[in-house]
This record gives sequence, structure tokens and C-alpha cells, in this order.
Amino acid sequence: MTQEQTPAAAPDTALEREVAAMIVSALNLEVAPEEIKGEDALYGEEGLGLDSIDILEVALVVSKRFGFQLKADSEDNFRIFGSLRSLTDYIAAHRTK
Amino acid sequence: MSTLPLLPDLPDHQIVACRHGQAISRARFLRDVLALAQSLPADRPLLNLCNDRYLFAVALFAAISRGSLSLLPNSTTPETIAALHAQQPDLLCLFDQAEAPFDLPRLRIAFDEADTAPGAHFPTPQIPAGQLMACVFTSGSTGVPQPHFKSFGRLRAIVLAEAERMWAAAGGPCAVLGTVPFQHMYGLESTVLLPLFGGGVLSAERPYFAGDVAAALAALPKPRFLVTTPFHLRNLLDAQIDLPPVAAVLSATAPLARELAEQAEQQLGAPMLEIYGSTETGQLATRQPTRTEAWTLYAGVSLRQQGELTTASSPCLEQDIVLGDVLELLDAQHFHLLGRGADMINIAGKRSSLAFLNNVILRLPGVKDAAFCLPHEGETSRLAAFVVAPGVSAHTIQHGLRAWVDAVFLPRPIVFVDSLPRNATGKITAAAMAQLVAAHLEQKP
Repeated sequence: MTQEQTPAAAPDTALEREVAAMIVSALNLEVAPEEIKGEDALYGEEGLGLDSIDILEVALVVSKRFGFQLKADSEDNFRIFGSLRSLTDYIAAHRTK
Repeated sequence: MSTLPLLPDLPDHQIVACRHGQAISRARFLRDVLALAQSLPADRPLLNLCNDRYLFAVALFAAISRGSLSLLPNSTTPETIAALHAQQPDLLCLFDQAEAPFDLPRLRIAFDEADTAPGAHFPTPQIPAGQLMACVFTSGSTGVPQPHFKSFGRLRAIVLAEAERMWAAAGGPCAVLGTVPFQHMYGLESTVLLPLFGGGVLSAERPYFAGDVAAALAALPKPRFLVTTPFHLRNLLDAQIDLPPVAAVLSATAPLARELAEQAEQQLGAPMLEIYGSTETGQLATRQPTRTEAWTLYAGVSLRQQGELTTASSPCLEQDIVLGDVLELLDAQHFHLLGRGADMINIAGKRSSLAFLNNVILRLPGVKDAAFCLPHEGETSRLAAFVVAPGVSAHTIQHGLRAWVDAVFLPRPIVFVDSLPRNATGKITAAAMAQLVAAHLEQKP
């Protein structure tokens, strides 16, 4: 085994897994991070079923780990929480660390 | 019958609200209120579902000046609204969303941003003091929400008492920003009525994330006043971001830990105040928890005790009300809060009760027995449920609950058990529940 990064692990997939693990640990969820798929909804009735309180908790952890504050300035407040992938993309676009 | 002015006597040009950076004068607010009042039908109860706090206030004050009652349900799940409509077939829904949230007779309210004319002077309407202006609901123990009617004169008087205390701590009337839902008593009193009756500035914004709170505060004129809950406050302080100066901060819904109050005063450089009250009574007392553990009642409020039960009387209450909490009376004006009513659940400014939640879950198909519990008290408490329901999935149960209860009250986890430890009278004692929690919900290391 080598320490080399395999090209198969595209950066966004790695980040997606990191975000999934972060959500599970921040909210003490009973689901395993690898069970959350990219297209799974985070907020609302489908998928993980997170609510407004969870979203606030996740936002705090995101701001600490990735160095930016989330904004909810429109009616579709939680659009970026539509799926694990949309949150990951949002983080990739806004992270400062 | 005595009448009172709809709004305090202030100059027409005085700023009374702020919406997306636009300052709104008293004349403009009154014009918006009276214009909407003219298009409201007489004698129909109104369901005010506006999301924008300014439009919510316009709809509320238009209803008052039309003599109509505003219904403020404690949850807007489809089943709750359907049940309300069944009770009130005349219901007219006022909303500001792009699409109507429910299929009810409705009227959409919008803000005309292009309208910046100073406008004419309108005389302030006089409102009968005894006119009922709002109906707020508690969840009730039988699954049927219980209405609590609030008259204009009494609600106004209680909020003026609040304004006196809040502005004294803040150094004068403030622009008020709230992170709490305003369909509930605390948010209604402190983020809508406090600025409008108390000569402050209402903010239309409903900031959510810590960064949003900072931006919304910055957009308001000084001095600023933040209305929040222990849950939102903890999240805001933990974010460790620069916040614009505030003159004072207010918390309610759950007791504020002294350590959190101290941290808030240190980080925000402003007094941290707390309100004690309930949906039934409205606010009754305040304190500054870093200075004293004791609560100070508002003038005119008196408490009396018989055994564990405390009853509140006040000229601001329609009748004497028994409190759900355990209090220790110190003297005529002061008390200690020893414990919250075991049945009441308050999460991030939203309120429900274990009795109501248990009632809902027990009615779900396939559920033979069930009990909700709050395993860990704290700022981010989360309910759990023990359920006897062979062959029913957790997802089905969550789905069934969701039609009735706000998502913040959904249980996590749902623990399936073969039976519940009910005693001879069918109750689950606190000790039995603690054992269940210890056996199934031990915190992961």
C-alpha cells in the first residue's frame, strides 16, 4: 500500500464523504455516513429528514470547518440542503479553508 | 366602552419598521394597514400566515382596525390547518408567499416597493379596549388545540409594561430583531407588538443562520435589540463572528443557563434579559439572570399558591390562570422558578406538549402503544419515542406524525419495544421512563 491518492477518488467525492461524516457526527445520527448518497435529500420528509434545528447545527459545524458563514437570504432558505451533493457543491464554492 | 389608539401617538415621519434596508414611516405603515383593512370582509376570522414580519404586522393591525379576530395556530401542518378550517368554515387566509400555502379562501398581501411617497396623514383609529384581536393556541392534551383569546386592551397593556422594562435596560426604544416565530406568544409580543406599541422599530427580517443575524442587525438603525431563545443564542455565540453592537438581548421559552447568560453579556457587551410567561398568560415577569436568580413580576400581576399549584391574576388577564410550572414565591413581586411543567415541550421557540404528541402517535395505524420523552435537557434537546408497533417502520411513523406536528418535535430516535412499563393505573412513572432511556438511549461515548 502506498500513501498516494488514487485518481478515482475525485475531489468532490472525497469532500462529499467528509461532509456526510460531518453531518452524522454533528447530529449524532444513527445512519452510517457511507449510507448517505449524494442525491439524498437532507432537509424535509425525504432522505435524512433533517429539520430547521438540525440545519442550524450543521451550519455551525460547516462554518467552523470550512471557514465561511452560510446565508439564507431568500425564501428557498434551505435549497443548499436539498441534497448532500448540493451542500457539498456549495461548500466547495465558498470554503476558505 | 373605552377605546384606545391603534398605534402610539408619534409623528407621521417617525420610522416604525425596516424591511430589506428600507425604512418605513408611521404614516406609511398606517396607510398600508388601512388600505388592507378596507379590502377585508367584515366578521370573518383571519388566518394570518404571512412570512414577512412587516406584512404579518400589516395584516394583524388591519384585522384589528376592521374589528376582525386573527387566528395564530401553533403549527401549520396540513392536518392542523384542516382541523381549524373545519371549526371555522368562514376562515379567510392572509398570506404573502408566491403560492398559497393552503387551499383555503384567501387574500394575498404584497409590499409595494415602488411606493415611496410620503403620503397623506390619516387619523389613528380608536379600538375598543375589549375587542378580541388574536387567538393563540396551545396544543391541548386531547389532540384538539385549545384557543386562548387576547383582547386589544390587555395585550397592549402587557406589551407596554414589557417596553418599559426592555427600553430601561437598553437605554431607550430600539430596533427589534427576532429569531423566533411570531405566531407564538413570545414572538408576537416581543418581535411584533413590542416595537409597534412601544415606539421602537419592527424588523421584517427573519434571520436564520448566525451570519444572517449579523447582517440583519447591521441593516437596522441603532440602538438595536435582539429577541432570541437559549437555542438560537447558543448557536449565535458559538459561531464566534463579529456582531454589530446591540443595546440589549432578550431570551425566553426555556430557562437560560447562567453560564450562557454570562457568555452572552461578555461577547455582546449588552445586558441579557429574560422573560417568563406562557401562551395562556402571556409574559408575567422578567429578570437579568447574571444579576439575580429571582424573577420580578410586572406591576399588577399577583401570584398565589395552594400546594404545588400557582395561580396568576392580573388586570392584563381575562381570568385567573393556573401556571404549569413549579414556583417558589419570595415576596409580592418576586419568585424563583423551580421547574417547568413536566408536560410542556418548548424547542427553539415552538411549543407543544407530551400529552398532545402521545395522543397523535397513539392514533397512527398499527401503533399499539407509544410514549414520547425528552431524554436530555439542554439547549438542543431532541425528543425520542418508545413505540410498540409490530410491522410498522420508523419512516411510516415519522410520516404519520409529520402531518400533525412541527418537524422539530419529531422523535429521534424511535425505539421499538415489545411493551411499555405502564403501572397499574396505565401511567409510565418518571423512574420507569428513566430506566427505559438508560437502557436504550445511552449516549454514545
